[in-house]
Amino acid sequence: MTVHNVFVITKNTFKETIRDRILYGLVAFGALFILLDLFLAKLSLGDMVMIKSFGLAGVYLIGTIITVFLGASIIYREVEKRTLYFVLSKPASYGDVILGKFFGLYGAAILTVLLMAAVYLGVVLYQGGGFDARGFVAILYQLLEAGFFVALLTFLSAISTPLTSTIAAALILFSGHFMSTAVENVKRIGGFTKTFIDAAYYLLPNLEKFNVRNVVVHHVPLSLEPFILSAAYAAFYAAVLLYFAYAFLKRKEL
Amino acid sequence: MIEIKDLKKMYGRRAVVDGVSLVIEKNKVFGFLGQNGAGKTTAMKMMVGLLRPDAGSVSIAGRSVLESETREIIGFMPEAPYFYERLTGFEFLKFCGDLFPRHRKKTGAEYEALLKKVGIFEAKDAPIRNYSKGMKQRLGFAQSLVNDPEYVFLDEPLDGLDPIGRREIKEIIKLLKQEGRTIFLNSHILYDTEELCDEVGVIHKGKLLYAGSVKDFCSGKPLEDQFIATVEAHNK
Repeated sequence: MTVHNVFVITKNTFKETIRDRILYGLVAFGALFILLDLFLAKLSLGDMVMIKSFGLAGVYLIGTIITVFLGASIIYREVEKRTLYFVLSKPASYGDVILGKFFGLYGAAILTVLLMAAVYLGVVLYQGGGFDARGFVAILYQLLEAGFFVALLTFLSAISTPLTSTIAAALILFSGHFMSTAVENVKRIGGFTKTFIDAAYYLLPNLEKFNVRNVVVHHVPLSLEPFILSAAYAAFYAAVLLYFAYAFLKRKEL
Repeated sequence: MIEIKDLKKMYGRRAVVDGVSLVIEKNKVFGFLGQNGAGKTTAMKMMVGLLRPDAGSVSIAGRSVLESETREIIGFMPEAPYFYERLTGFEFLKFCGDLFPRHRKKTGAEYEALLKKVGIFEAKDAPIRNYSKGMKQRLGFAQSLVNDPEYVFLDEPLDGLDPIGRREIKEIIKLLKQEGRTIFLNSHILYDTEELCDEVGVIHKGKLLYAGSVKDFCSGKPLEDQFIATVEAHNK
């Protein structure tokens, strides 16, 4: 594996991804969705908590949809369309491919999230909320989650079809955000359900670690330590998923 | 020299390539002939390191093809290639060139010269999705030459080309031979194979039925007749 080849594949993947016309449509839709915040601002009589909550949720929702759209077939397509032949018949390894695809897609996901974040920050500024630095922190957390999510999609697309990858990713996303609440709730129920949910809680990623949107809009103090821990958590999960993606791809008969 | 020893690949219980052994000397054009599903493409994929054989080995210039350094000196054009459709022809070629450590410093002019060589220079800045089948075939051919390879593997290089395109690609293959390169090609088009190749191999149901000079194989008859006779004799 060479850093140079990873960089070359990253650049190529990024270029390919950001030239997708459907992506432009989705980004435009996302921007419009966030601009709806202006309408909400009128309805809520300028309540900044409402404006920020809706805006940040919009950036998260559309960013996640775009990431799934871009990532669900990222490796599958390479295998099915045999474009991998061009890469692997050259002095490039399976590891170069997996990492290059991951970083290229992650770069595109970051770009789209930042574009929508810019619209969000513009809306808050326009509504008289100034530069929402705390909102930007929530976006940074979202980018950490996107890193995990891109790795998950890279792994899923190496082992299954785009449709299966999309469904699996949606389920993991849902359970990842739901598990913390579920663990609290089953404490009262106990028994097998508690054991099952506890096991699932430790097995599945806890994506609530990346959700600071409520903390941000309600002005709860923020510190650096949870951010570093969340970054390490995302990096660990991503590394494991990418390793498995590599192992599965290497075993595939091209 | 390309040395293939007892190469075997199984898909399930079926041997797709079954004990193929071949030696191809340097600076030869070798044509690998066989019906659809005979095992030509699978064999070629093992030769360029895309597939791992279940048994046997492939060595090129004395080194295993599975070594990254070996792939520095080979070029491969897959059959009916698919591309990154949103890139331009130039960008794709540069992407391929950048994957070779020795060719990273290639200039834009050098890539353009290669595009001129295969006759698609005019379309260099157009997205590949707008290319015709023949243009894609030429681009696939160009990327196989991007590293000035000593050994070139071409899987059906003349498929999808019009007569003029075929003639041009044949001229380039002849030129590559003149430059001292070794060329291994799979082809269905026996007329062209006869014109281009010094040696042929006939593969049928994974087994190599013949390997040797075209002259000896044909012994005065057209290559197509001799190929059909060889395959039918084996089927009886």
